[in-house]
Amino acid sequence: MEGLAGDTLASALYANGVRIFGRSLKYHRPRGLYSLDGESANTLVHVNRECNVRAETTPLVRGDAVSPQNTWGPVEKDRLGFMDRMDGFMPAGFYYRRFHKPVAAWPLVSRVIRKMAGTGVLDTHSTCDGDFRDCYPAADVCVIGGGPSGMAAALAAADTGKRVILLEIRPWLGGHFDWRVRPSGGKPLNEHARDLAARVTAHPGIRAFTRTALIDLSGDIQVTAFQTRDNGSGYDQSYIHIHPRAVVVATGAGERPMVFENNELPGVMQAGCAWRLARTWGVLPGKAAVFSVADDAGLEAAADLLDLGLEIRAVADARTSGQDEAMAETLARRSIPLLKGYMASAARPGNSASGKGVKQAILSRIGGSGAQRFGCDLVAVSAGLTPVAGPLNTVGAKIVYDHHTGCFMPRDLPFGVHVAGRLSGLHDPEALAASGRLAGLAAALDAGGNVSVRDIRAEKERLASLPGPARGVAPAFHPAIGNGRKSFVCFDEDGTVKSVRQSMEQGFDTPELAKRFGGFGLGPGQGGIPGHTLPLVMSQIQGRRQQDIVPTTTRSPLAPVLMGTVAGPNLLIRKYTPLYRRQNLPGTEFIRTGDWMRANRMSARKSLDANVADEVRAVRNRVALLDVSTLGKFRVFGPDALKALQRVYISDMGKVTADRLTYSAMLNTGGAPVDDGVVTRTGKTDYYLTTSSAWAGEAEAWIRYHTRYDNLDFHVVNLTDALAAVNLAGPDSLRVLAAVTPEGIADLPYMGYRETALNINGWEIPARFLRVGFLGERACELHFPAAFAETVWDALLAAGRAYDIRIIGLEAQNVCRMEKGHIILGLDSFQETTLTDLGLGFLWGNGDGTCDKVGAPALKFAKNLPARAKLAGLEISGGCPGDGAVLHKGDTIVGHICTARNSLTLDKTVAMAVVRAPLNKPGTELDVFQDEGGTGDRGERRFTARVVPLPFYDPDGKRLRDTVNPEGGE
Amino acid sequence: MSYSITCPVCGKRDLGEFRFGNEDRGPVFGQDTLSRHDYLNRVVFQKTLAGPQKEWWCHTSGCGTWFSITRDTLTNRELPGAADRRKEEEGKCA
Repeated sequence: MEGLAGDTLASALYANGVRIFGRSLKYHRPRGLYSLDGESANTLVHVNRECNVRAETTPLVRGDAVSPQNTWGPVEKDRLGFMDRMDGFMPAGFYYRRFHKPVAAWPLVSRVIRKMAGTGVLDTHSTCDGDFRDCYPAADVCVIGGGPSGMAAALAAADTGKRVILLEIRPWLGGHFDWRVRPSGGKPLNEHARDLAARVTAHPGIRAFTRTALIDLSGDIQVTAFQTRDNGSGYDQSYIHIHPRAVVVATGAGERPMVFENNELPGVMQAGCAWRLARTWGVLPGKAAVFSVADDAGLEAAADLLDLGLEIRAVADARTSGQDEAMAETLARRSIPLLKGYMASAARPGNSASGKGVKQAILSRIGGSGAQRFGCDLVAVSAGLTPVAGPLNTVGAKIVYDHHTGCFMPRDLPFGVHVAGRLSGLHDPEALAASGRLAGLAAALDAGGNVSVRDIRAEKERLASLPGPARGVAPAFHPAIGNGRKSFVCFDEDGTVKSVRQSMEQGFDTPELAKRFGGFGLGPGQGGIPGHTLPLVMSQIQGRRQQDIVPTTTRSPLAPVLMGTVAGPNLLIRKYTPLYRRQNLPGTEFIRTGDWMRANRMSARKSLDANVADEVRAVRNRVALLDVSTLGKFRVFGPDALKALQRVYISDMGKVTADRLTYSAMLNTGGAPVDDGVVTRTGKTDYYLTTSSAWAGEAEAWIRYHTRYDNLDFHVVNLTDALAAVNLAGPDSLRVLAAVTPEGIADLPYMGYRETALNINGWEIPARFLRVGFLGERACELHFPAAFAETVWDALLAAGRAYDIRIIGLEAQNVCRMEKGHIILGLDSFQETTLTDLGLGFLWGNGDGTCDKVGAPALKFAKNLPARAKLAGLEISGGCPGDGAVLHKGDTIVGHICTARNSLTLDKTVAMAVVRAPLNKPGTELDVFQDEGGTGDRGERRFTARVVPLPFYDPDGKRLRDTVNPEGGE
Repeated sequence: MSYSITCPVCGKRDLGEFRFGNEDRGPVFGQDTLSRHDYLNRVVFQKTLAGPQKEWWCHTSGCGTWFSITRDTLTNRELPGAADRRKEEEGKCA
């Protein structure tokens, strides 16, 4: 198959003689090209490995493999074509009702139905290799629609000095002027379009996005759209997000489909579709045509196609009078019968295997007898233009039936929202331009532009003097269609006038209900075909006054958009510590914790070293070095710094002194600790504090949030990324430290703090020393500028060589801190585990603290509650359960294991768990159950556990507190 | 459905740059006499008004400021509130 540059799949297929594009969902009827903007599922095709591609809007790409959907065998001879005669067995809603019972039959029935009905087949191995980007342009005014009115609006607004963004769904600007050659003001309309487009493109105040479809227009004037980039991929899309101060909606109008028997046969298409095929794509849509239209735009299409060489057998116009004289005369001059007051009541298909398409059209007089038959291979239909009001629906305007135009028109526009052009029912080219200018000026005024009210009034008066909206007359369908068995209201779901009637008989008698029951407009084209037809068809059946009819609601996304486009580029953050390179040794296993990549185990061969024995031994017996740069590190200072810390920390922060570290915790309003760390005072109103790695990103906002009413004068500086940190731990740690630090640092008492310079290779490196002991051994944390991370690391490793120092990872830290009974919040606590439940109540003076702290009132209320789940130590026999295993006593779940490890130091399996009181008393025997999916081996496993006091290791804390004379022994 | 928020420091920005900080119902601290029931009502249960509602927002992806706005929860439009008043006051100072 050959195509031309710029062709869409649909235009290229049509030009190459393809008339049947696919088969319909339920009845397997042949379907062809009907519209050109993706209003129906008729032209959904498989392209390469992707299904449901819209042939009408997808550019033709060299080498793409295109195939039809929902057909058994070739699309011309679908073996499921007999389904078309089975409609009597498939009334509206049959899917829900017929197979409701027996339940047992459903799996079989659903398998058959799903095979026979549907659209494309999903290839689960296909990938969507798009280049997705986000685009957040700034604009004062956004114009939606690049037709003549939209462009006039953009120019008018931009000329006032406002920044304007124009969105156009097609690849070029111009709208309906683009294919119209009728002269206006001495120039064909398409030349007007090109002139306007050139002015828009050249205007420095306008940025025009083409190939850009609107996704949503929301109430506070937010525009979301996506642009398909012009590189042939179709996947490369940008998500566009604009917050203009005013918006002009100039989305124009579409043709309301005409409802008659066989109104979707291949060869029946919108008049505009036939016209655009000829004018835009250079394809004469057929040989002999019958037109059934309802407005001058339809007549203009017929007259123009006649000039282009299409043979026209007849033109039916639903209006009895008021036709554009020039058009009528053109037709009369060529002896084309113009049947006034007629519309199509049926199309008949050919019988031959090669020609399943339309063969004959029947035009019938409205409200009377008289039908005429015309042989043809093209039926161009239009029940008149109907506004594309979707964006106004989503923005919160009312869409009401307009008696004059016979269309659903927007009312009660929100502030800053303006409409222009064919959307407001106008047709006259001058009026379209005037309405565009008026809307542009009004939007510029809303956006704070320098617009005089006199200009707006003048434009308003000018518009009033021009022809207004034309009167709409076409009925929803011709009564001659009978029961409407094959008169399709919705192509995608094979919804007919008959099934509308059936839905109404079932009691689903408003459009919103019928839509859901009968599936009208629930297919890929959404409301494109049935959106405005269904309410009109229903009102005609009911004989109801049309004002009372409400259309169905259009919701976003207004155009089908790829999930990848909405998701945007992959913004997975991976942060690497300044010591990443030093730890990236052969065998190191890194894991992602929060945003950080951290070394977990230094020997990735888990099978050989499941318990990271080597690393744990280094901590317990010699000396180990751990990168803790991810710890949150903050400076809080200012006159009210203490007041801020008093609010968020549960301890009395007034007791924090210089040179000493105070351990405390931040609680949430429920009394559960969300963070723990140490705080020290470094000046009169200057504090330095650490938080857990997970809380580093949250701490600042947390402190500010909980002091938001107090108008305190303090500053928070997040030093987390500025400072690297290492933990030097183990019996020999202070000896190693003594080798690289000035005198006295190694003598720092437990929980001491000092700031001094390290002297390494001639560098004076400012460092903070924190004598903490998370791992249960004497240890010192060093915080220093990240730029010196590797220098300090190397110096410590060099000094530690004599003591057989070892780099350790997170897993070894996890084992060691657990042996010591030190918790990791969120790992060893739940949302509802309070400070008291964790045995840390002493931080709040065991209940005597003030209530003026976050979480303190909750602690007070929870203090005397019985049967709370509390932290407990367990000794486990029978193996090592996974983290999260269930603790039970008989049939009752009494708690969960938080962290369980084989402890080499203790030579047994121990765990920290949360256990419901009073079963947390030491000596209690519990059962452990691990379902498959635990972190251990798969499958159900059982263990027994006994509650023991915490901590497991070094209960009196001797090893932590010991200082050491660097020269002598212990 | 997304919308915009006006930060007193950075101006009108997209919702995605902000985080919600619950309804603005005044400070809960300094009220040691709050009953358990009242405390729960203040910190856990929200009023979720349909209509204008005063609420806290933080410009997390911007300046980090916590501020209070009045938003109509039915339209997601901001009503003239604290931000505008602050601007006026600044105007007076200058």
